[in-house]
Amino acid sequence: MMLRQVSRHLPQRLAGYLLTLWIVLTVNFLLPRLLPGDPLAALLDPQNSDYVFDAEVRATLEAYYGLDRPLPEQYARYLTGAVTGDLGRSIRLNQPVGELIASHLPWTLLLTLTALGLASLLGVWGGAAAAWKRGSFTDRALAAASVVIGNTPVYFVGMMLLILFGARLRWLPLAGGRTPFAHYDTLPAAVADVGKHLLLPALTLALAMVGAKFLLVRNSMVGVLGENFMLVARAKGLSAGRLKWAHALRNAILPFVAHLAAHASMAITGAVFIETLFSYPGMGRLIFEAVGARDYPVIQGVFLVVSMVVLTANLLADVLNARLDPRLREA
Amino acid sequence: MRAIRLRLNGELACGLGLLALFAVVAICAPLLAPYDPHAFTSQPLERPGPAHPLGANDVGQDILSELIYGARVSLAIAASAATGTVALGTLVGGAAGYTGGWLDELSMRLVDVLMTLPRLPLLILLAAFLGAGPVQTATTIALLFWPATARVIRARVQALRQRGYVRMARGFGGGPGYVLLRHILPEIGPLAAAALVTAAGRAVAMEAGLAFLGLGDPTAKSWGLMIRFALNLSGLLLTDRWLWWLLPPGVCITLLILALTFTGMGLERAWHPGLEHL
Repeated sequence: MMLRQVSRHLPQRLAGYLLTLWIVLTVNFLLPRLLPGDPLAALLDPQNSDYVFDAEVRATLEAYYGLDRPLPEQYARYLTGAVTGDLGRSIRLNQPVGELIASHLPWTLLLTLTALGLASLLGVWGGAAAAWKRGSFTDRALAAASVVIGNTPVYFVGMMLLILFGARLRWLPLAGGRTPFAHYDTLPAAVADVGKHLLLPALTLALAMVGAKFLLVRNSMVGVLGENFMLVARAKGLSAGRLKWAHALRNAILPFVAHLAAHASMAITGAVFIETLFSYPGMGRLIFEAVGARDYPVIQGVFLVVSMVVLTANLLADVLNARLDPRLREA
Repeated sequence: MRAIRLRLNGELACGLGLLALFAVVAICAPLLAPYDPHAFTSQPLERPGPAHPLGANDVGQDILSELIYGARVSLAIAASAATGTVALGTLVGGAAGYTGGWLDELSMRLVDVLMTLPRLPLLILLAAFLGAGPVQTATTIALLFWPATARVIRARVQALRQRGYVRMARGFGGGPGYVLLRHILPEIGPLAAAALVTAAGRAVAMEAGLAFLGLGDPTAKSWGLMIRFALNLSGLLLTDRWLWWLLPPGVCITLLILALTFTGMGLERAWHPGLEHL
């Protein structure tokens, strides 16, 4: 009920997201500058172990962070840079952070959207079917399995799948987003190669998310099945299929859509672990490698862009919600 | 104070039993572990045998001892991070729900912001700048995970405030401190306990995850770090070494998280029998 009331005001939600974005930008700006030990200054201090030896990289770092200028001026420069897409330069790769992110983001989107689609299909279908036969052995087994799989660390699930399908059966590749140095003659060959590499990571991420979706749809469907309009529909002599899919699920799906935004954040968390495990060339792998090399501009850039993706997903979920539920469009 | 009655159910018994087992292992680690987990007691990568039931890692440390001492790291982080999370959440949620007004508005905005942000990237950012260590890990987890508790506590306190006996106490001149301690706190106790268990589960998962990503304390013998070092050995998955090096820590993390989840579910069921699934 609370969620519905909130999404009644889309403009208000939008203002909230913009405020959040501003907070993300400010945290990103302040965090390295206000911390004791001054991690940024360490990069430019020859006495420190983090000192950047490459003079050219050091010069761009100095120019980007502008630590010798007053704080408000640094802030203004940082904000203008962020708005125009200037996110600094990677220390490790000596490449603009914007470019790095542009080449990694599509892989993460491919992975998370495939997994979200797969988990949604399985969760909704399984949840509806389980609710229809509530109390049965299948229902109980699926609910128990959802709790167990939902609580298993995603990288552990990934490792087990990797050992089974990658190392034992050798059906699928062990790592990467595509075959290294591969040259594709046709488009289908390229799609097949990318798909083959995508299958295990996407399946792992889908497994990590399907439990929560299943339980949500199941419980909401059980509630709907007890409603009076279902009794009327049954009394009209409708077939079981129409009752289940057209009448019950149509209503039971609403809380599921309302939670889609939360699932976007969940998908990102899973993607960081899965990309690290599978060496998948997305944003998670990028931030993982940047952490190892203390590549601050990249860590900050990834955090900013991932936050923007999650905020956009939230907004889209709000719009979708308002479209699906006629009650939200009034007022 | 109202006595809290607790009826044991399946989930609760299962969860508490497992938790007790892990706690005993953690406390008695020096007695149970065959070796010092930091000592180099065998050839690197030794296979399981009578001297080393789970073999040795890449530098010759006994894996079983690492596993036993790992329970200490996980439980310590879980306990401290969860206590911090629930203390912060109860404080903010309680204050917001009880006073209302601008404080309520402000803290709920903050809750909204923190709940929308992608937490793991933010946690990585904080860990990268604050450094890796048990104190930093517990603090950052608490700082990022309190909003869920705050929301639940606020809703409950708001409802309690409207109750007759609370309004009466305030009408008779009971100050906020008295009313909160005497009437509100006992009522939100069960809620906070359930939140504590949930937060502990999240903390275990996060601590292991951060260690897996290389953002934990590099000297602590934690399960997440064991997995990280095991995976660093190239070709590990192609041999059968994962059976005694990768599987045990993974199973331990999962079992501990499940134990906490079951305890949380059991508590909820014991206190709100009406909420049982239909």
